[in-house]
Amino acid sequence: MPTVSVKWQKEMFPAVEIDTSQPPYVFKCQLYDLTGVPPERQKIMVKGGLLKDDADWSTLGVKEGQKLMMMGTADEIVKAPEKGPVFVEDLPEEEQVVNLGHTAGLFNLGNTCYMNSTIQCLHSVPELKSALIKYPQSGRSNDLDQSSHLLTVATRDLFNELDRNVKPVAPMQFWMVLRKKYPQFGQLHNGSFMQQDAEECWTQLLYTLSQSLRSSSSSENLDTVKALFGIELVSRVHCEESSEESSEAESVYALKCHISHEVNHLHEGLKHGLKSELEKASPSLGRSAIYLKDSRINGLPRFLTIQFVRFFWKRESNQKAKILRKVDYPLELDVYDLCSDDLRKKLDAPRQILRDEEGRKLGLKTNEKSAGSVDTDIKMLDAEGSSNGVGESSKAISQEGVLHDKGMHLTGLYNLVAVLTHKGRSADSGHYVAWVKQESGKWIQYDDDNPIPQREEDITKLSGGGDWHMAYICMYKARVIPM
Amino acid sequence: MVPVHQIVAFYMKHNAEPEAVDLLTEVEDIDTLLEHVDSSNYRRMCLYLTTVARYLPDIDAYFLNVAYKTYLEFEEYPSALRIALFLDGLENWEDIFMFCDDLLRRKQLCYILARHGVHIELKKGDVADDVDRLVLQDIINNAKLSEGYLTLARDVDVMDPKSPEDVYKAYLLYGRANAGASFDSARENLAATFVNAFVNAGFGQDMLMTVPSEASSGGSSGNWLFKHKEHAKISAAASLGMIRLWDVDSGLAQIEKYLHSNDNHVIAGALLGVGIVNCSIKHFCEPALGLLGDYIDKEDSTIRIGAIMGLGLAYAGTQNEHVRRTLIPILEDEKAPLDVIAFTAISLGLVFVGSCNVGIADIIVDALSDPSRSALGEPLIRLLLLGLCLLYLGKKDDVDSTGAAKVGFNQKIKKYYDITLLSCAYAGTGDVLKVQHLMGQCEQHLSRDAIHQGAAVLGLAMVAMAEDLGLEMELRSMEHLLQYGEQNIRKAVPLALGLLCISNPKVKVIDTLSRLSHDTDIEVIMSAIIALGLIGAGTNNARIAVMLRGLSSYYCREANLLFCVRIAQGLVHLGKGLLTLAPYHSEHLLLSRTAMAGIITLLHACLDMEATILGKYHYVLYFLVLAMQPRMLMTVDENLKPLLVPVRVGQAVDVVGKAGQPKTITGFQTQLTPVILAAGDRAELATKKYIPLSPILEGFVILKENPDYRDDH
Repeated sequence: MPTVSVKWQKEMFPAVEIDTSQPPYVFKCQLYDLTGVPPERQKIMVKGGLLKDDADWSTLGVKEGQKLMMMGTADEIVKAPEKGPVFVEDLPEEEQVVNLGHTAGLFNLGNTCYMNSTIQCLHSVPELKSALIKYPQSGRSNDLDQSSHLLTVATRDLFNELDRNVKPVAPMQFWMVLRKKYPQFGQLHNGSFMQQDAEECWTQLLYTLSQSLRSSSSSENLDTVKALFGIELVSRVHCEESSEESSEAESVYALKCHISHEVNHLHEGLKHGLKSELEKASPSLGRSAIYLKDSRINGLPRFLTIQFVRFFWKRESNQKAKILRKVDYPLELDVYDLCSDDLRKKLDAPRQILRDEEGRKLGLKTNEKSAGSVDTDIKMLDAEGSSNGVGESSKAISQEGVLHDKGMHLTGLYNLVAVLTHKGRSADSGHYVAWVKQESGKWIQYDDDNPIPQREEDITKLSGGGDWHMAYICMYKARVIPM
Repeated sequence: MVPVHQIVAFYMKHNAEPEAVDLLTEVEDIDTLLEHVDSSNYRRMCLYLTTVARYLPDIDAYFLNVAYKTYLEFEEYPSALRIALFLDGLENWEDIFMFCDDLLRRKQLCYILARHGVHIELKKGDVADDVDRLVLQDIINNAKLSEGYLTLARDVDVMDPKSPEDVYKAYLLYGRANAGASFDSARENLAATFVNAFVNAGFGQDMLMTVPSEASSGGSSGNWLFKHKEHAKISAAASLGMIRLWDVDSGLAQIEKYLHSNDNHVIAGALLGVGIVNCSIKHFCEPALGLLGDYIDKEDSTIRIGAIMGLGLAYAGTQNEHVRRTLIPILEDEKAPLDVIAFTAISLGLVFVGSCNVGIADIIVDALSDPSRSALGEPLIRLLLLGLCLLYLGKKDDVDSTGAAKVGFNQKIKKYYDITLLSCAYAGTGDVLKVQHLMGQCEQHLSRDAIHQGAAVLGLAMVAMAEDLGLEMELRSMEHLLQYGEQNIRKAVPLALGLLCISNPKVKVIDTLSRLSHDTDIEVIMSAIIALGLIGAGTNNARIAVMLRGLSSYYCREANLLFCVRIAQGLVHLGKGLLTLAPYHSEHLLLSRTAMAGIITLLHACLDMEATILGKYHYVLYFLVLAMQPRMLMTVDENLKPLLVPVRVGQAVDVVGKAGQPKTITGFQTQLTPVILAAGDRAELATKKYIPLSPILEGFVILKENPDYRDDH
């Protein structure tokens, strides 16, 4: 009957007797008394091996005073939880998008960054998305040509795909249809597609969409694109020599920011862009004369597009040269002083309310801290607030037509939501990138297939003056308030 | 020859030992030195001899023998042991033990043996007294390693567990999408597991796996474990072994209950964890063999791999006969799947590292010659070959005499094998000719198919990392390889840099790797990121930490790259900055073979990351555990209890061949032990009250009271 010492975790049980005539199971029961570990959970180390229940003590050669080690715990055995966790990797792609907070990038199909960045900027307009969703697949109205219809369908499908995917999307179909509709984008140079001007792509695409979307929703006979992007201008055309004066009205999709030596800020450029000189035949003088055209905004859109006129045609080198001048632009833009008197009158009231509201907010902080409760009789809604998610934005679009009489009023104030930048020395070369504010308020730089998070303060640094990306097209979203 | 002897005698008397050595080198009569040594000049002479031997690849043994004999003569047993270990002359240690009959000194010798990873069974003949023998054996078995490490941790106050978030410091990043709170990402969780395991290695507690183990058993830890998918559970369960590293008694108790799980992956992980806990520790009951042995022949191959790799880690460098007998049948089994075979080969390579065991080599070759297994497209073949090569690690010319080198592999495998074998055999020798040979392999512009070039680049680092001069030159030539090399070479260069400067973050190398982490080739990027982790391993280097944090936001969309960044972040904070991965110790003289083997196994696996750490063999990362050692100086008294004494810690100065008694450190600070030593740091006692028993103040050092010391106050 040798006695051994047994080590269990940090404890030591000296002098445990082994009855070598009994099977080891008996020994295990002895240890059960000492440690509380049931015999079937015990693992006893006899130098280099485990002690089996039916082993023969004589063959094991246990010596007097030998140290044995016992392992095992009375703990509960670890069990897998009933319900396994859900992993992001297993989710369908749509849900991953929600998780991610921004949509997918677009593959570059060979110098198509101008197209990708244009799509990414327009894709950030929820109202446009929902208008496209309503666009019928087959019901093409007669006044629309086949290629425009296809382009609209392709845009709709591409927007859908961007929303559904986490991984980058290849805009094959769209690219093909775009080239079909506008063959100039299919130009080849040395066997590959040429780089194009993003502004041209933007304008053409919007034009097509305005055509197709108008004709489709004929019941309301409302031009969605025009309601979203159209800017009404009234111009006074004035001739110095003959003091003739006339006025004309027009509608454009983008304001131009002219860049000259005096222009340092977007605002100055816009003012500049609204004034122009033109030469035309004067009926009173009987010859052509210089006319001054002075335009003002008479109607504001939900989305104000501003194009920096950075490119001009250089006759000597036969290419579009670029103005690198730094032109600052704000995150919040006020176009009040560019508006006509009629429009200003309309804007005055909402602006007053907005000012009061903000004043009160500030006042609250200083004076009414003790009051505690916030007076919320007038809720100020940011434009972003009304469009959380696609589902809600479709509601927004249905209100779109009645926006003005239903109490949502424009204030002439705009927030920056997308910037399309260009890097490089001429319009037909270099690289285009879209910087888009997400619904979460985060900025994402869409560099083709690669979305990169950015800081808001870095967005205003894209103002030019070097070889870094510089803003080419800016899109602002209107701030509206209910009344 | 008479004038030579006269000149040497003169030199030796007048503090010009280097000149004397140089002269005798010229006339090839270095043994003559022994006639002229005395107690005033032997230290300088031996220092010069050991240093100069590094640059004389063929005759270094003669030089070192002279130093060895001198040290023995002057009773500098620790120094003699260092040289014996450097010469790979394990048979010499018995001589040293014979000469050195002082128990305290013997204890110090055992500490050195333990740090080097040498496992020796003391016999009755060596140490007469049973109690003493047990104490000495305990030291060699590293039984108190965990205790010492935790003492250090308590002293520097880092016992509180750290969560992966504490390491990521995501709140310092802008624009980082943290919307993923609602769902777990399996990839992120696996990364968090590794980070958690590395950061809390050896501390015994963490925030994920062990949290309220006493509250409701398997509560939180079970939950975290099951937040992994399939094979990821292996690494998760094994991470428990990392957390309990070196603490065999309570570690095994905690892991053991996972062996009763009904999930094969969990069992495999627990088996691997058992191996990790036992890594570099030898327990009197051999629990690793007992526990793992039963699972080797299981049906499920994941369980088998877990057990096999566990055995490899637990018995690395021991040349244990039981392990051999357990593992060999797997290699002979023709039906065994390739991954089981590969891990068996690696484990055998680790256990018999540097043993030149022909029997094992032949069996691995047989397993390899099976035509169905010899397609090198399979990334695991690399591991098989490496397992074979590890048998010859550091054996230099002994390779040529064995038959293993003459095997009829197909061309592609043969090349890879030749290069790997060469680089393993000369690993840590600094042999310039081999460096040149390997460099020659890299200069050809070959297709992606020529994977042997990657191995050659790693080989360059393995050979050249031996001493500082060669290392600097190698860093420079890596730059050329980057410029002119093909993709196969470029992707291996960051890994080679990581090996050259492992746990030694040189600013120049950080910059190079930082540049490569934005390369156009994704494989180069991944290697560079992992290498950043390796060079910063266990240093808490702020520069690398910031860099990796930046990378984590830059690559937040790339799951694979992000995973690499996380691993690197975990490595940088390895053991909360108390551990090192450097295989060299004892002032960069001795190379621990098991540590080296662990690192190069991981690096070879990293040559094909897609298939290994990014695939389902991510647990190869645990091979690093072989190289983990506390980077501490722990002074103990004669009863081996920690003793607090002031020491000066500073940058080591090269004093070889300098006249007079130059200071050995510069820019030092005085601290109380235990202290943490950075790469290139050296410590010296700041008090005359004690005498250290080892000239090198690293790891555990026994202090003896100075009998001549008089307190001034």
